[in-house]
Amino acid sequence: MEAVEQPIIAEEGIIIDQTPKSLWYYSWKRLRRNKLAMIGLGIIVILFFVAATAELIAPFNPNAQILEYSVKPIGFQGNVLIKKFDGDVQYIPIQGIIKEDAGKVYYKDFSGSEANIDKSELEGDSQKEWNKELTFHLGTDRFGRDVLSRLIYGSRVSLSVGIISESIALFLGILFGAIAGYFRGKTDGVIMWIINVVWAFPSILFIIALSVVLGKGFWQAFVAIGLTGWVDIARIVRGQFFSLRETEYIEATKAMGFKAPRVIIKHMLPNCMGPVIVTGTVGLATAILFEASLSFLGLGVQPPTASWGQMIFDGYKYIIAGSNWGLAVFPSLAIMITIFAVNLVGDGLRDALDPKLKR
Amino acid sequence: MAAYIVRNFFYTILILLGVITVTFCLLYVVPGDPARIMLGQRADVASVEAVREELGLNKPLYVQYFRFLGKAVQGDLGRSYASNRDVVQTILDKFPATALLAITALILSAIVGVLIGIISAVKSYTLLDNASMLFALFGISFPTFAFGLIMALVFGFWLKWFPLSGYISEGPAYLVLPMVTLALRPLAIIARITRSSMLDAMSQDYVRTAKAKGLSQGAVIFKHTLRNALNPIVTTISASLAATLGGAYFIEYIFNWPGIGLLAFDSILKLDFPMIQGTVLFSAVIFVVINFLVDILYAVLDPKIKLD
Repeated sequence: MEAVEQPIIAEEGIIIDQTPKSLWYYSWKRLRRNKLAMIGLGIIVILFFVAATAELIAPFNPNAQILEYSVKPIGFQGNVLIKKFDGDVQYIPIQGIIKEDAGKVYYKDFSGSEANIDKSELEGDSQKEWNKELTFHLGTDRFGRDVLSRLIYGSRVSLSVGIISESIALFLGILFGAIAGYFRGKTDGVIMWIINVVWAFPSILFIIALSVVLGKGFWQAFVAIGLTGWVDIARIVRGQFFSLRETEYIEATKAMGFKAPRVIIKHMLPNCMGPVIVTGTVGLATAILFEASLSFLGLGVQPPTASWGQMIFDGYKYIIAGSNWGLAVFPSLAIMITIFAVNLVGDGLRDALDPKLKR
Repeated sequence: MAAYIVRNFFYTILILLGVITVTFCLLYVVPGDPARIMLGQRADVASVEAVREELGLNKPLYVQYFRFLGKAVQGDLGRSYASNRDVVQTILDKFPATALLAITALILSAIVGVLIGIISAVKSYTLLDNASMLFALFGISFPTFAFGLIMALVFGFWLKWFPLSGYISEGPAYLVLPMVTLALRPLAIIARITRSSMLDAMSQDYVRTAKAKGLSQGAVIFKHTLRNALNPIVTTISASLAATLGGAYFIEYIFNWPGIGLLAFDSILKLDFPMIQGTVLFSAVIFVVINFLVDILYAVLDPKIKLD
């Protein structure tokens, strides 16, 4: 492992590549050496992959309810008939097949009574196709939906809410922080006052109150979380701008008569990006946490969309009752691992982007 | 010093004004008619109108605002829709429960967190240090409610060491689970800050001098290094106090601890507007007041801050 950047020497004395590289290049190299951060990054990549390919890897439709299989334990297996339904399939739990003839199948249904069904309504042509033993690897929830599939689809909600909310927060935070930091004086005073007022409210209460005001739902969750998260970013950007303003190259831009937007966007903002990225990453973790908290209270994403927080909300009573604890524990683990991975990367980014650390 | 306090005091008042305004706006943006919600969907138009008159809902917005402001400053936030009891009185009744939870959790997290941080710093880069810091990161990442649920499951249900829900008036054991759950996150944050602050302090020359003088390791750590590392640690602990008060709300909901948090959540779910306003406003005011006191504490610890 290289400790110091060496010029690449092909033959004795002849140097091939000595081009100066950017901060990003060195930071990335430093980040790569941080094993924990790389593990975190790996977990996040896997998570993205899972969210993107949910349709392919989830064993069941996350909203497919099989009420007879309500709250079944891990690894539960059930014998079902698979019926065609509206372009998709429907599962009918049975105790067993009695007999089949040319046009119908006779079976014992879940409650033990005899029933029959036309073969034309069944999926596929052979018994192998319409009579299967389904395995619910992590059990089912109270509507008989597969926990594993809901976990997989739930990753979409957590990741998207986290990223979109944090993007809103980043946008607002950079905007206000830059304005406050560049123009100072009264503008800064007003913006700092707004920041302090927003910061005075406990985030969770504020977000919940906002959700009540805005209504329950996907988009409302983004806005509510974004409106609380921008404060941290704004503070950082403002602080950075304050120190940058004193530097000579910014004074030079003023001497050259550049207008404010140009100076802010082209010259000052790019130099703040380090701490902003770190704060943004931590903010992402917090946003995912808030989404889970909102869903846990029944706000935010609404059923039947699968969301990890909501799965905990549903499964929470089963912990107290002592039955299928997995219903609440698995989504909790999923959230924890995601946030942990994001924090690992955030920590690694902070160390990697710090220009004061020796290379 | 006096000038610093006075300056801060007036700025605090300004912030409080902003807080009250935001609280006011929050609830007047809510869809639905507060009077109708209070009386129920099947109330007749005449009663709804009467209640609207009584609450002053028909007056222009700025009149309502100043009415709210005036009353709030006098400590009158109306009556709860749900229980018809005075909002401020209910909140003040429930506050001690939340305070008890938050303060005990904070004390626990401060003591254990600082200890872990010191040990990690002294034995830095060893397995102990790495394990502690990983544990700390884990502590920050664990959503409080999830941790609470798992604690309830393991210690309350499986092992049956502690009761699952209820208040301390029935015995000290009821405090344990909520307090420990609440303490985890601040503990982790404090441990990390303590470690990094101690490492910074330990690299200073005066520490080398102390060691060269032959002082025992205990004396070096506690008498010299820790004192100088204290500033960021105190900052974090005081910031954690406010955060812990906020986090307590969720914990109260999970463990059925009768404090302000439970009150706030219940009132939000029931759409009890005066109580929602009351709890939100009260939380923000406490936060602002704590910050004000902490700012004064900083000035005492670090005189340079007064010149800011």
